[in-house]
Amino acid sequence: MTFKAWSNVLGGFHRPRLIRHALRDFERGSLAFGMIEDLLKTASAEIIGTQVSLGMRFVTDGMLDWHDIFRPFVEAWRNVYPDGLLRYFDNNFFYRIPVFKEEPEPSKLVLATRIRAFKELAEPANFKVVIPGPLTFTLLSKNESGLSKEELAKSIAKVLNMELKEAVSAGALAVQIDEPIVIDPYIELDDINLLSDLTKIVFDGVEAFKILAIYFGVPKKEVYKKLIDLKVDSISLPLIENPKNFLDLIKDFGVGDKIPILGVINTRNIYDDNYDLVKNIVKKSVDIIKPDEIGLTTSSWQDLIPYRYSLRKTVILGEYAERLSRELGFDYINPLSIV
Amino acid sequence: MEEFKVPKKFPTTVVGSYPKLDPAPEILRKLRKKELDEKDFHELVRPAIKKVVDDYLWAGIDIISDGEQSREDMVVYFAERIKGYTVGDWVRIFDNTYFRRPVIFDKVEWTSPMTIEDWEYARSISKKRPVKAILTGPYTMVEWSFDLYYKDRKEAVLDIAKVIRKEVEEYLRRGVKYVQVDEPALSTRPWREDAELVKEALEIIFRGVQAKRVIHICFGRLERILPYILDYPVDQFDLEFKNSDFRLLSYLKEYSFDKELGYGVIDVHSLQIENIDEIVKDIEKLMKLDIIGPEKIYIDPDCGLKRLPREIARAKLRNMVEAAKIARERW
Ligand SMILES: [Zn+2]
Repeated sequence: MTFKAWSNVLGGFHRPRLIRHALRDFERGSLAFGMIEDLLKTASAEIIGTQVSLGMRFVTDGMLDWHDIFRPFVEAWRNVYPDGLLRYFDNNFFYRIPVFKEEPEPSKLVLATRIRAFKELAEPANFKVVIPGPLTFTLLSKNESGLSKEELAKSIAKVLNMELKEAVSAGALAVQIDEPIVIDPYIELDDINLLSDLTKIVFDGVEAFKILAIYFGVPKKEVYKKLIDLKVDSISLPLIENPKNFLDLIKDFGVGDKIPILGVINTRNIYDDNYDLVKNIVKKSVDIIKPDEIGLTTSSWQDLIPYRYSLRKTVILGEYAERLSRELGFDYINPLSIV
Repeated sequence: MEEFKVPKKFPTTVVGSYPKLDPAPEILRKLRKKELDEKDFHELVRPAIKKVVDDYLWAGIDIISDGEQSREDMVVYFAERIKGYTVGDWVRIFDNTYFRRPVIFDKVEWTSPMTIEDWEYARSISKKRPVKAILTGPYTMVEWSFDLYYKDRKEAVLDIAKVIRKEVEEYLRRGVKYVQVDEPALSTRPWREDAELVKEALEIIFRGVQAKRVIHICFGRLERILPYILDYPVDQFDLEFKNSDFRLLSYLKEYSFDKELGYGVIDVHSLQIENIDEIVKDIEKLMKLDIIGPEKIYIDPDCGLKRLPREIARAKLRNMVEAAKIARERW
């Protein structure tokens, strides 16, 4: 049996020196914002070009100007502001805690303008947008809004829904919500039940390929069972973080009706991933799932490793994906080779 | 000069880091560009340490630190001085701030004292107040590096523990009274296996040490690791409480905690200055539970103050000291 396979990176990239320095100069007041926008465009073009040339089916713009996954939204919405720093999962990276004072209202939308700026650079690949999932957003924020957790989460989901709809009309073909919070070993099942409502809200009326991405660890069984029932087209799992536990989950519960995206390139270290290990994980996964289609991806965003390695990992993903497809007999979708 | 007496009840202290004060940022830049050697570097950073110590004295802190003015980052600083490490490429920590995430490329070895000079200088100007020796723990060193040499994490952690042990011996020779090991990475992976690995490392670092042995852990799932760490070979646990709204307190009670406690009452992630009343009330929360007596309670911030503006950091410390004075009267 043959089936389709393709690859895409999970999310953002580390900043190249050009951007680090430009942002620093901007903060010091020695560089105008217009200049940064030009430099960002240049640097993003390099990152998009890397993905396109390596045959990724969906590409991101690298999100080089995002200080953390929440920040562009926090800054674009009223009634929420970024406060002190808190560790982002088990990484030596800190995000600014969004503090909600009232229900969020967008004063502008974040994604659509980016897509208009970058869409053509992504051709012939397709543009993917990535946003923080409403559950992760809510649980990693401070709620001083007077709303209940559920109410706040739903209002966040509504604004994110506006973002996604606008992004799709601007040309995004894939939309991804990131919900790393679900791997938290102490997460309440009620929160996962809430995620089911939130997913419906966030994707309501969004006509694009819908991905749920989780990363940084393995969810508990009870959580995983619920994730594969969510109303999304595809679920992205960081298998390389813990192949055995993930394969057990897949064996026990499958992946529902989702197209699995297998995170097999580890973007939290700087090794060249071991090809045989990657092949073994992919082979075992498809033997269990017997899918019609799979995606291959990285285990997290590529912003936790130095810039050069964030490029290197993209190269490894592209090369391994093609080689695996040859060796395991997948029908590999590479936008560059489709006439 | 007369010996400074650390109060018997509710002594005040700091976790370690302080905002980088001039000329530390410039000196660090020069060191990075290799325009300075190690000796000159420590000489030139002294004015910054002096300012930190002055702030501590002004606030009235009993057990102080050198403010970690030489440390660009708690992991990088040691990695630059431990053989077998190389300093890597820039990786973001937050916003547009980066650290050079170190890479282990060979077996690690201690070669010469890494932190002693700054500590000795701080001690020389501390008006006899004790200065803590503060060392980044081996578990955190490994978790926040890229390892290209050890295939086994445990081996890497225990080897770095031996390096840190050598540094501790240097302190012991100089009569240190408080040795603190920082393991912030532990609370991000609240598993028994990880906690036990840290215990093994601490046994290497602290074996036979007569000075006060302190471990600092902060943020994350402290209550989850608590049962695994209570038998650590330390005298004091220095923990974050304020930021997590004192959630940990009931667990201390539950587990009959009976070591000394570094009680974090200052939120280092907030620009809001805790007022004296508020801090006294927060101390009361602990006292009401009747877990340990005031002679076992050290009042300090949740974590290092390095991310705060100086004015806010010192104002927070001043209020903390005032609150501790009130607590001494009351309990
Ligand atoms: Zn800390």
